[in-house]
Amino acid sequence: MSQDNRFRNRALVDFVVLPFLFLTVALLGGLRVGAESRTFIFIAPPLVTLLLAALSMLLFVRGGLIRFHEWVGSDLPPLTNVAHIWMFITIFFASAQAFNSVLPERGLFHWLFSFFFLWTLWNNQFSSFDARRLLRSLAILFGTAFVLKHLLLANLYSPEGGWLKRVAGALLQGVTLGTLDGPAFAPSTGYIAFFTLALYIAGLILFAFAGNGEPTVVTHTLVDGYRQLSAAERRSVREAILDDPVDQD
Amino acid sequence: MQAKIIKAGGFGFTIAYAAFIVWIYATEPRTFKEVTTSAEIAAGTYQIDQEKFDSALSLFRREQFRAARDEWQRADPAQRDARTQFYIAYSFYREGWGRVYFDQELFKQGVEAVNRAIALSSTSPLTIDDPDLRMHTAAELKVELEQGLESSWSDVNPLKVLRTRK
Repeated sequence: MSQDNRFRNRALVDFVVLPFLFLTVALLGGLRVGAESRTFIFIAPPLVTLLLAALSMLLFVRGGLIRFHEWVGSDLPPLTNVAHIWMFITIFFASAQAFNSVLPERGLFHWLFSFFFLWTLWNNQFSSFDARRLLRSLAILFGTAFVLKHLLLANLYSPEGGWLKRVAGALLQGVTLGTLDGPAFAPSTGYIAFFTLALYIAGLILFAFAGNGEPTVVTHTLVDGYRQLSAAERRSVREAILDDPVDQD
Repeated sequence: MQAKIIKAGGFGFTIAYAAFIVWIYATEPRTFKEVTTSAEIAAGTYQIDQEKFDSALSLFRREQFRAARDEWQRADPAQRDARTQFYIAYSFYREGWGRVYFDQELFKQGVEAVNRAIALSSTSPLTIDDPDLRMHTAAELKVELEQGLESSWSDVNPLKVLRTRK
């Protein structure tokens, strides 16, 4: 009975909850609220966010968050394969929209943020990652971008002229702020972006633990780490494991 | 078996949700009201507010053209009703018409509205049976508005002050 419930719950998470969560991120990631009109503004993902999402997907595969061979295979039923591929598509678009929500819409800051995202994701491709570290790294990356865009830049773009605008005005006296200019949005945009990013990270955490199963993640991480050691180091590790007092009890 | 139903149902539900998201980004509604209006159009259940339409018509007959247009725009916020768009175009014509000259800006807006009316009308040509009007088809109105926007030697003809508004 509990086995049946486990299968049902797993199916519910894999085929309903996770795609719904990621699609909600895709919906809200491009949503802004106009500062003066208080109306919705839907911003489709710019091309650069698709590139960032592709790099993120590669990172998810490298970090063991997405394991294609376990999710898509000839031994699985066709419907399961299609549903799994569909979930990867939703993750891709959720990633693109998560980047969209923290990227400034135009101007110099748009390109600066894009460049730093690309730089970070490209560097991460060559780092040693596991699912947990990857999630922590992504949470910090999006958190930082959120603070920069929705707290600092929002203040700079504010029509009333926030403290940052006054400081920038004093520092760059005589220099045009045209290249730094951007659209002003209502404060609710920040709340929407916060909710979107929280949902995205929560979805990835749920995906890591529900989809792959925590014990497998830990085992794979350990084995991957072990395989990167030299022969002498491997021997030391094996001896240390065999000498573990817990095992001897 | 239940897991299979969850898989198929979940897949179908999320596909529908994704289609809704694509539709939202394609139509770009600005308010929740616009979301419902767009949904009504997509479902084919969109209807104009008849009460507002009648109120606008009575304003139009009293030559309160701007007020009439405001009411018609509220009656047909999605600009999907050919008849309403025809009347909006007609109000631009009547307000912009003058014995000596035509208001080019109003006539341009009139052409835009009549083009919308023509595009929306399923029957061709669009005909409005209103005894108060002297032009009953969108094609006639369009020609009249476009002629008003053209410049020609007849513009300097002093006899043109004798022409009548339709």
